[in-house]
Amino acid sequence: MPPKGWRKAAHDPVATQTLVLDNGACTLKAGFASAAAAPSYDDCRIIPNCIAKGRDKRVYIASDLEKCTNFGEMAFRRPVERGFIVNWEAEKAIWEHEFLEGKGGLGCDPKETNLVLAEAPNCPVQLQKNCDEMVFEEFEFATYYRSIGPALNAYNDLPFSASDSPETSLLPPECLLLIDTSYSHTTITPLYNGRPIHSAIRRMSVGGKLLTNYLKELSSTRHINMLDETYLLNEIKEAVSFVSPSFKTDLERTWKGGLSDRREVDPSIVLDYVLPNYEHSAHGFARPHDPIKARRKLLQPLDGPREDILPVGNERFAVPELLFTPTDIGLQEAGLPEAIMQSLSVLPAALQAGMLANMVVVGGNSLIKGFMERLETDLRQLTPSNIPLRIARAPDPIKHTWLGGARLAHDRDILRSVVVTRAQYQERGSTWLGKWFAGGDAK
Amino acid sequence: MPHIEVLPNTGAAPAPGWAYVPDTGYDPSKVAFNPKDRKRQATRQGAVPTGVELSARQLTAVQRRIAELERDNDARSGIEIPNKKTTFKTSATKKILMSAKEIRHWLDDEDALLTNKAQAPGAGARAPAGRVIKPVIGARGRRGTLTATTVPSTPVQPSTPATNTPRALTPSVPAFPSSVAGSQDKTLEIRTAVPAPLDMEKLEALLAAPPLPYAAARVGPPAAGGPPQRLFCDTCGYWGRVKCLKCGARVCGLECKGKHDQSMCTRF
Ligand SMILES: [Zn+2]
Ligand SMILES: [Zn+2]
Repeated sequence: MPPKGWRKAAHDPVATQTLVLDNGACTLKAGFASAAAAPSYDDCRIIPNCIAKGRDKRVYIASDLEKCTNFGEMAFRRPVERGFIVNWEAEKAIWEHEFLEGKGGLGCDPKETNLVLAEAPNCPVQLQKNCDEMVFEEFEFATYYRSIGPALNAYNDLPFSASDSPETSLLPPECLLLIDTSYSHTTITPLYNGRPIHSAIRRMSVGGKLLTNYLKELSSTRHINMLDETYLLNEIKEAVSFVSPSFKTDLERTWKGGLSDRREVDPSIVLDYVLPNYEHSAHGFARPHDPIKARRKLLQPLDGPREDILPVGNERFAVPELLFTPTDIGLQEAGLPEAIMQSLSVLPAALQAGMLANMVVVGGNSLIKGFMERLETDLRQLTPSNIPLRIARAPDPIKHTWLGGARLAHDRDILRSVVVTRAQYQERGSTWLGKWFAGGDAK
Repeated sequence: MPHIEVLPNTGAAPAPGWAYVPDTGYDPSKVAFNPKDRKRQATRQGAVPTGVELSARQLTAVQRRIAELERDNDARSGIEIPNKKTTFKTSATKKILMSAKEIRHWLDDEDALLTNKAQAPGAGARAPAGRVIKPVIGARGRRGTLTATTVPSTPVQPSTPATNTPRALTPSVPAFPSSVAGSQDKTLEIRTAVPAPLDMEKLEALLAAPPLPYAAARVGPPAAGGPPQRLFCDTCGYWGRVKCLKCGARVCGLECKGKHDQSMCTRF
């Protein structure tokens, strides 16, 4: 902590405004925070973190995609792989386009801005070093704090009903089990007084990306070749998928039966997704399965108006089921409820109950219908019945990590205690900085 | 747990797929470790589920499929950046911005670095790990002994080849021993809502422990004794009750078998 009165020094290296950035593989969550006003979700923008190229060879950088109406065969270049910034050439182009440029961007001058950057847990040290060097040497931010995303959530209010939690405060809860199920993967992070217990962090390979790719694979082998339609399959996944409360029952309800024992599929589950043709429609829509229309589709003329339909049956719940049963595709990993138990097993017994009573879920997959209910049901079965479970999804699970970072940045004292200034970096170098952010060295 | 540290870069920029590491007299050919040998690692890790017989070819197919599902970037997307700038502020950022390495290269580099650390005489095994990371190693030791009938109460010495490789650090069997014991046993050691008081020293050690390497943070396989792996019809997604004798794929019945033979069977 700096001594009192330090703030009045001739030049305060900590800038007034802070760019808070949750740099996800699918989207960036970005916005400014300052001491002046308490941040809210509304201060956060969601920006595609990709460079895309359409069928017409037109190239879209990040938020340019909002203007796009034809996503057919769109190819994506993503700078973030497995949750980590790998390709800085592309990430730099996106950051410049979104943050630095005034036109359409945030118009940010890094020299007058602090950067609070969320990264995925267990990042290879060399990639962290690359990131630190880019932030200070190429972008030249005034000050910088890199933290794992889950830890930033400790600065948020617990999303439990008001009577359960104390008044709005920045004091982190003693125990917080943060479950982040997003695009690249699903991670479980126990935090004690806001500090992550690194050795207990566990990662599942299943995230939104894998689910979309799985739906793409299933649709392509069973119905229509969709291998070049990642954008569309992601849209379909978001529109129709649900986590089944009873997988076996739902699988029966969607089966056509055998040759000798025909069954009627349940029309409340089996849908027809009408694909966009990108001439008259940019997006598709789902409607109840109509076997006659589905059959007639094959007789439609190749040219002229036609309607392309993708039938979706058990794919609706078999795809998100991978979050709970990854072995369904041969992936030898425990499902989320058991993965949580694996993480907790590293902790002393005294903390396990506290963690189970303070579980917060963030990340886009938590928005899949039925996800929270199934998670709670399955967790209940894995834990002794006299242990209270309390689990909640953040009000906005996609922006929640960002909001935690923004609340940190809003509090000048906390911000000052965690950031490193450019001068400090220039004096001590990136290896020191890496150790400092890992909590292993004195400032 | 090996202590991780950035090694000074020797000579040229690392080529994709492998890394230069200082010569410590360690001969990789003598320790039978090959980060590319996913299959053997998978077997060692217990990737072959009980109750499911997979040929080597099928195992490879499963792994190839998972790799495809985990892919971040299209192989075909050679998208160039419009109005690309070719000026760099420092030599460090020039190197970073010119790099064409993909995540697998970085992860392989990390694996190699850890292997090298663990195999270097006196590294990792003893040193600071003793006090700080003891509970973790203990837990991992249990997980590592997949086939052992008795659970070692002391940490497995990281000098044995099996625990030296970073892959082997990946949890193999869930760490809570009680879960395997019997169906009555719940998975956590807690039995009451008022558990034993917190051992502050142990807690401080936990909080001070550094992040795990990427591979070691991966979640372990489901507990032994859990439900067997479910198998599905390749054609329609219903239960895979019938096995194709030609290629080993599963189908639900005669109708899907017909479709399978027509267009999907991989062995004719
Ligand atoms: Zn079938
Ligand atoms: Zn076959």
